[in-house]
Amino acid sequence: MAQQIRDQTKARLQDYEPIVGRGYIEEMRVLAQRLSGKVIQNINSTFVGGGVAEILSHLVPLSNQLGVDIRWDIIKGNDPFFEVTKKFHNALHGNPTVITAEEFALFMEITQKNLNEMNLYGDIFFIHDPQPAGLISKKKEIGKNWVWRCHIDLSNPNQQVWDFLRKFVVDYNSAIFSSPNFAQKLTIPQYLIPPSIDPLSDKNRDLTPETINSVLTKLKLTSGKPMILQVSRFDYLKDPIGVIAAFERVRRTLDCQLVLVGGTASDDPEGQRVLQEVRQRAGDNPDIHILDLPPDSHLEINALQRAATVVMQKSLREGFALTVSEALWKKKPVIASAVGGIPLQIKHRFTGLLVHSVDGAVYALRQLLTNQEYANWLGQNGYQHVKQNFLVTRELRDYLLVFIALSSAGEIIHL
Amino acid sequence: MADWVNWLADNWILVVIPLLSFIAIFAVGLLLRMLILRLLARSPDWSRWRGSKAVSDSLKRPFLDWFFLLGSYVAVQVSSLPSNAKNLAAMIIGSLFVVSVAWVIDNIAEKLIRLYTNAKAPTRQSIAAINVLRAIIIVVAILIILSIWGFPINPILWVIALVVIVVALTLRDVIANYFSSLQVSSARQIKVGDFIKLDSGESGHVISITWQNTQIKSLQGDSILIPNSKLARTTVTNYGHLLKKATDPFHFNTRLHLRELTGIKACNVNELFDILREAPDNVVFYHVHHFLEENLYLTPEPTNDFAIWVNSILGDDILGERLASIDTFAFPTIGAVKQRLVDTLADYLRNNRDERKCHEGEEFHFIRSVIFILPTSYVAHDLREFVEILRKVTIDSIYFHVFESRLRLQKGTNDFSIWIAESLGEKELADEIASIDPYVHTLENLRNLIISRIEKYIK
Repeated sequence: MAQQIRDQTKARLQDYEPIVGRGYIEEMRVLAQRLSGKVIQNINSTFVGGGVAEILSHLVPLSNQLGVDIRWDIIKGNDPFFEVTKKFHNALHGNPTVITAEEFALFMEITQKNLNEMNLYGDIFFIHDPQPAGLISKKKEIGKNWVWRCHIDLSNPNQQVWDFLRKFVVDYNSAIFSSPNFAQKLTIPQYLIPPSIDPLSDKNRDLTPETINSVLTKLKLTSGKPMILQVSRFDYLKDPIGVIAAFERVRRTLDCQLVLVGGTASDDPEGQRVLQEVRQRAGDNPDIHILDLPPDSHLEINALQRAATVVMQKSLREGFALTVSEALWKKKPVIASAVGGIPLQIKHRFTGLLVHSVDGAVYALRQLLTNQEYANWLGQNGYQHVKQNFLVTRELRDYLLVFIALSSAGEIIHL
Repeated sequence: MADWVNWLADNWILVVIPLLSFIAIFAVGLLLRMLILRLLARSPDWSRWRGSKAVSDSLKRPFLDWFFLLGSYVAVQVSSLPSNAKNLAAMIIGSLFVVSVAWVIDNIAEKLIRLYTNAKAPTRQSIAAINVLRAIIIVVAILIILSIWGFPINPILWVIALVVIVVALTLRDVIANYFSSLQVSSARQIKVGDFIKLDSGESGHVISITWQNTQIKSLQGDSILIPNSKLARTTVTNYGHLLKKATDPFHFNTRLHLRELTGIKACNVNELFDILREAPDNVVFYHVHHFLEENLYLTPEPTNDFAIWVNSILGDDILGERLASIDTFAFPTIGAVKQRLVDTLADYLRNNRDERKCHEGEEFHFIRSVIFILPTSYVAHDLREFVEILRKVTIDSIYFHVFESRLRLQKGTNDFSIWIAESLGEKELADEIASIDPYVHTLENLRNLIISRIEKYIK
């Protein structure tokens, strides 16, 4: 039932040395040695689309290069199951959602099916997000260490869904959250590990001006006008309608264009509906470009981010919003909502601008579009901040530490 | 007398022309010397060259001698003397010129060799080099003079060439080592007493430098002879004079950390005070050092998370300033820092009825860090090794030995100062490093500052 993939990316560990330094990589090798002989099994719900799949596609091959036997499997589910887990997702983000008893029953049924058919072979099980969280039921039978990695904003969860999920979570050995706001009252250790970007991936590596221009031409965009860009799935929680509203007000006095780029993950059936609404709202405004790109359009996204004048992430709720780190890595000024993990990435007025409303977004856009020097300064600071705190090497190192901490006690661990 | 006067009256032109020729050429010589010296004095490249004075001093007088000889030669040639007398005079003048040039070359060569071998007192190598060069100059000068006087020198040249080839082939290594010794000393690379390390692995204290070999004594006490030619070919790290060896080496560790969420949060000053009062040291340590650690690229604001939150989220500038101004470096333990924070909040709450609350999602989340201490492969036995390693280690390692050791591991000061004082006995340097306030520097700046202090000390 489970599928398994490895080595999706071709980046070599030594390729990161010029970015993070040799000492950093050496430290990771020391940590990897401590995990020698252990198999770490990642489990989530999809290999493609969405932030989790993207993170794992970089972390798994890099871990393997360090000598850590880390593998990646996915659970299997049907459309109704993913509809339910999408509702879970929205509810955990704080949306008013009611989950029926039948939907909980369906979740349990598919979980049981996965429990029966999945090969759970790891020494450490690294479970991502709510979809496979129920696999913890196997712990009573097979033991081993289990870590739950929550990529979702749990700062204001729907109590019904969280209570349901919490029963599973407390059986894990530890949990990992992306932001301090997501922490819950739990009896198990909760670690803070923000997600990260891969500076060498197609989405973030350096591009030549020719490549950027060819992508713009291919997508029928012009580089002649300042470009405001938001990259995110077509999802109500990303507030694409709010972005259009802000853009329309700015456009009255400043010549610029808006590009909304999105896609849908295989576990996101809601996406098409949102896309239709966004297109309706944009109408026939020639300065608004709505691009529905396939999930593997990494190079295109990279080029768009590099071509942008200002990048926005005006989400209403967020897990972490890696698109913010991506834009900062490209030294772009970013305007984003102070939700989820965004405040970790953006220190207001230092590495970007935080806003709380459409009005705030309009004000920030005007500031950045008319003050290039200030915009560049924010972009430079943002780049340094990401380099220091949000690269894949840092995330991988943190995970290795969590796995090591599973078999160590105390607040000071001598390795 | 009258005959002589009469002859002069009749043939004055025969005397005046040679005399005027001589005077004119000598005057040109004087003028040329003045111009050349002025031009050289104005040339920055010439002035920068270390040998400029030696060359100028050696040429100043002979330059006029040469024009004197040239003037004499021309005067004789334009005179009415018989041709055999002219030839004889030309040969004498030519020989004198060769002797003068040889003397000048010898003089300049000697001064330059002494200059570039940096020998205040002549060394055996420099004396030998001067003597060899002098012999060559004398031989060449004699050959030229013989040639001027019409002696056949070709057979002599063949014999000399043969001897040179035989000597060069027989003493190839000796000559290579000899010239290498000159090269090594001329580049001021190595001198007796230095501690050197070769790329090939040998290291030790230089005992002597001879024409052939450089002798070093390793840290294990072995005597090693290194041919000078090898020394000139390989990469040599010169650590200067040998430093005191530590009684115990310094093992560089590094530290990584995980942030553990406590799930406890505050939304106003009252709650912050209540929770902080009960918070363990590791929570306080995290929040006092978090900003510094996360923003390593900044000129740090020596502040803490509490001050930032009170200031930017609750909008209380006054309390924010009071919390930010708490000087972490002034406290010997993290417990003492915590007490000052708690006292500051208590004092504020006594005098203010502040009901300000943060918005939802902007609460202060209490976090503690779990630290992992890892040994690195770097070990220092003396200050020079210590400095070299300090250049290479990650900033996490510096963070651990400076910040974590002092407050988290409660050693009272940083690890570097402890080692320098206890294992090297360099109390003065230890105190100097301990007095650096690490909270007002980026970690990279701190690294450079410590390195510069130590380098200055061991110079």
